[in-house]
Amino acid sequence: MKVLTPEGDRLDLMTLNMGPSHPATHGTLRIFAALDGETMKAAVCEMGYLHRGFEKMTEQGTYSMVLPYTDRLNYCSAMINNIGFCKAVEKMFNVTVPERCITLRVILMELSRIIDHLVCSCTNLVDLGALTNFWYFFNTREEVYKIWEKLCGQRLTNTVTRIGGMYRDAYPGFESDVQKVLGQIEKAVAEVRGLIERNKIFIDRTKDVCVVSAEEAISYGWTGPCLRASGVDRDMRKDEPYYGYETYQFDTVVGETGDTYDRIMIRLYEMLESASIVRQALARLKPGPVNTSDARLSLPDRDRVYHDMEALINSFKLIYEGVRPPPGECYDALEAANGELGFHITSDGGTNPYRIKVRPPCFTQYAAFGPMCEGEMIADAAATLGSINIIAGELDR
Amino acid sequence: MSSIAGAGISHETDVRSWKREPIKPGKSDDQLEAALTERFGLTRDAKDRWNLTLVLAAGKAKAQLHEVVQFLRDSPDLRFDMLLDLASIDYLSYPNHRGPRFAIVYLFKSLVFRHRLKLKVEIDEDDAEVPSIHDLYRIADWTEREVFDQMGIVFSGHPNLKRILNHHEFVGHPLRKDYPCQKRQKLSINDPMVDQLEARLKHYGYQVVESGEVHLGAPIAAKHQSVAEQGPVDDQKKANAHGAVGAGGV
Repeated sequence: MKVLTPEGDRLDLMTLNMGPSHPATHGTLRIFAALDGETMKAAVCEMGYLHRGFEKMTEQGTYSMVLPYTDRLNYCSAMINNIGFCKAVEKMFNVTVPERCITLRVILMELSRIIDHLVCSCTNLVDLGALTNFWYFFNTREEVYKIWEKLCGQRLTNTVTRIGGMYRDAYPGFESDVQKVLGQIEKAVAEVRGLIERNKIFIDRTKDVCVVSAEEAISYGWTGPCLRASGVDRDMRKDEPYYGYETYQFDTVVGETGDTYDRIMIRLYEMLESASIVRQALARLKPGPVNTSDARLSLPDRDRVYHDMEALINSFKLIYEGVRPPPGECYDALEAANGELGFHITSDGGTNPYRIKVRPPCFTQYAAFGPMCEGEMIADAAATLGSINIIAGELDR
Repeated sequence: MSSIAGAGISHETDVRSWKREPIKPGKSDDQLEAALTERFGLTRDAKDRWNLTLVLAAGKAKAQLHEVVQFLRDSPDLRFDMLLDLASIDYLSYPNHRGPRFAIVYLFKSLVFRHRLKLKVEIDEDDAEVPSIHDLYRIADWTEREVFDQMGIVFSGHPNLKRILNHHEFVGHPLRKDYPCQKRQKLSINDPMVDQLEARLKHYGYQVVESGEVHLGAPIAAKHQSVAEQGPVDDQKKANAHGAVGAGGV
């Protein structure tokens, strides 16, 4: 592509497609760039390669049938999506789930946040050529997946919650497994920090690269770790607490400059905060029911179903029709690993959702990616793409 | 950091200009309602029984939307500085629905005060057009593209109102209630995006003399199960010959 520079010089730019299936894009994204040497003079991004019509699909089945689809949004931390959706529907019913369910959900969310950050950080470091960290983090993640497997029989797409509670209670020995894995997580984070924190190559590659100011981050609607990397100390768990987060002791990790270095480091430190929340939640985990007793949401006991006509009808209605939230429009969100994950649900009082709009946190990050890497080196763009943690599942829906 | 980055993402204000302090208690839903309904003639939406949704009627959107949103963003005791998302709804088959067929819900959040607001803009079917607010929030550029793509609502003044999730050859708007969910379409080659790239270069003051031969990128096999052979033969050859970086999995 032949161009005249603003100074009037002739310049031959090379156009290059990165993606849609390039290892550095960690998924199916396409970045189309005009290069002068290795510098990206302009870049535009395309998405949609993983678009599967999530929102249209949700209208075709019942509310419970939406749950497995939510697993496929951010598949690195599927449980947070499950919980986010259930929390939104429960809000429509004005139902509060039992104490044990809330504490279990906090544990699962924070562990999911940790494994999401593990994947994001270590694949990001692989993009920079630091492969060792990958083994430290993926081994640890595997240990969490073993807990998931015991808990619900699934590793990646868990569908662990139900509207009004959980799929089932935690297995005996769950607490000690989680305690054990927390130690492993802290050890792995310490090891990776030892490898990168004072590593000249890592610092040179990430410091002051693709800086995003606080104003820009807010205007682009950034939330979560990326917003905090730009120095904005906002976290839904602190500002608009849900599930009793205000009663846990933890710090919001905030960056200084909003560069790639901050975005990577924030995730490392957030894992330690999450581990601390999980420890506190484990101490609070008391025996009790995990499902609400509200007959609109929860199946009655089997015993009652066989002996009580009302319970039998209740069971049939819930199995064949599912839950029926009151008509209306409701938005509910929580702090997912990537930022604010929201569900805007429109109900017409029927058994199927009338319309569900998902607010995926990484959509906003990817919208800023093109302008972010203009003027930067192409190798830095790959490192930055990792640091904003684009998950195509929730980006493209 | 090179100089051009300053144009892509502006660094005029230092990041430290964000004053770190705890979020302030915001206005309650009733206070927000009182502050806004009279000023702009908005009404509270009875459909939202959980939070506050204010409705901007169909006839007023064109003249007033931009002004209302700017007020929400800049008013010192509102400061809705974040546009979270746009949720579009097609009421075609909604039971007992009266009023315009479409609505867009603008989800706002303030990072200064602890309050949120949903602004619902009603849209008539025969005049499905609202003004763009991409100049107020940068994210609106993409969220508006998504609403256009999925629901077919036009945003006047938008600089690049292209499809974003669906293929650029896709016909129709899938989230409309009259779009059949089983419908399949044959789609061929992906969007070259040369126009978008040239627009970015022009934004920086470059003048494009010759677009030249542009690497077209890999044909999309995954997208909507369309097969690569659907594309025009010439385009296929071009794409294969140049072997875009992604295609070979370098």
